[in-house]
Amino acid sequence: MSSRKGQRDSARVVREQLARERRRKRTVWASVAAVAVLVIAGLIGWSVFSGQRSTEFTAPTGANEAGTGVVSGSGPVTVDVYEDFLCPACKQFEQVSGATIDQLISAGKVRVVHHPVAYLNRFSTTQYSTRSSAASGCAAEGGRYREYAKALFERQPPEGGAGLSDDELVDIAAGTGIDRDGFSSCLREGTFKPWTEHVTEEASKANVTGTPTILVDGRPVADRSPEGIRAAVEAAGR
Amino acid sequence: MTVTAQSARAARWPAVRPWLGVAARLGLAAVWLLAGGSKVGDLAASGRAVNAYQVMPYDAATVIGAALPFVELALGALLLLGLATRLAAGVSAALLVVFIAGIASAWSRGLSIDCGCFGSGGQLAEGQAPSYLPEILRDLGFLALAGFLLIWPRTPVSVDGWLTGDAGVEDEDE
Repeated sequence: MSSRKGQRDSARVVREQLARERRRKRTVWASVAAVAVLVIAGLIGWSVFSGQRSTEFTAPTGANEAGTGVVSGSGPVTVDVYEDFLCPACKQFEQVSGATIDQLISAGKVRVVHHPVAYLNRFSTTQYSTRSSAASGCAAEGGRYREYAKALFERQPPEGGAGLSDDELVDIAAGTGIDRDGFSSCLREGTFKPWTEHVTEEASKANVTGTPTILVDGRPVADRSPEGIRAAVEAAGR
Repeated sequence: MTVTAQSARAARWPAVRPWLGVAARLGLAAVWLLAGGSKVGDLAASGRAVNAYQVMPYDAATVIGAALPFVELALGALLLLGLATRLAAGVSAALLVVFIAGIASAWSRGLSIDCGCFGSGGQLAEGQAPSYLPEILRDLGFLALAGFLLIWPRTPVSVDGWLTGDAGVEDEDE
């Protein structure tokens, strides 16, 4: 091996080493940048969510002490009903077992807390779950939660669409005997939207993962038929 | 394009591997972009989905739930560009392992939830039974993509390739 070739070789080795070093540095910087991107993305998510979250809420008249639902009746057994006005199974529950619930209330057997949660916002283009729940708060303020809830289920829009408009929500309220102007301004000012958020959060905290969820004295009821509800209330009342 | 020129003589694997790598990278990018995109519009629902696993306090779950969709979107963007591919694949793998562990633990505790992987808020639709096994198998598939990229992070058409020069062409800088 000639010395000149040796020099060429060693020069090449040095060049290669320098190139390797350059590549290594670039890789390190790319990794640093990527980590920064991921961390910043997470922080953005957190701050966006904190910005969306309301800190204070006003519960409507007739709400329970924790402000997580609207109370009907004053019987010894407490029944919690978690419902979303966009949820087809909730409509079905109302139609099949709603009358039974009302009978149990008027017979003085139960105290029912209706929790109008907004779980299904992603199934409408206008956050219908939140809008209808906030509207039900306005109805509760007028003392007509149950009447309004039933009317909302009767007129339940299909999932995936725009839901009912604010005008329609007002018309339905007027149809149940609620003062149109008061309801309309309550709805349009979003008076009970923070309350809806509170109701929804507390439901999630209580590990309610689906709607409808029926609790009788805190225990989930699997059989939501009129007989199932009656049996659960009887068992709890004993 | 030295890679393709060599491939005529070389065994098939070295020729196919880079393009499998591109497919894995873009596939995993699509997974993250879809997963993040489906959750980003309703961060509260994302928090509820995390909370549905009942493994952490509610407030922690809402923070994770709010941050996760954005991290997923960022991972998707990194993989799409091919920037810091090995790191992105490593973070992807770690996240997927956590997801799989979460689903397995929900299953073993008998919870009845949706995995919330693609933005369902954690609740099952009416009459829908939990599908833990398909969810775990699907995540294992994604994990395989991430594993491939962890082992062979260099893929064609990537920012990594552009930053460091084509591997194997040592004297390109001259």
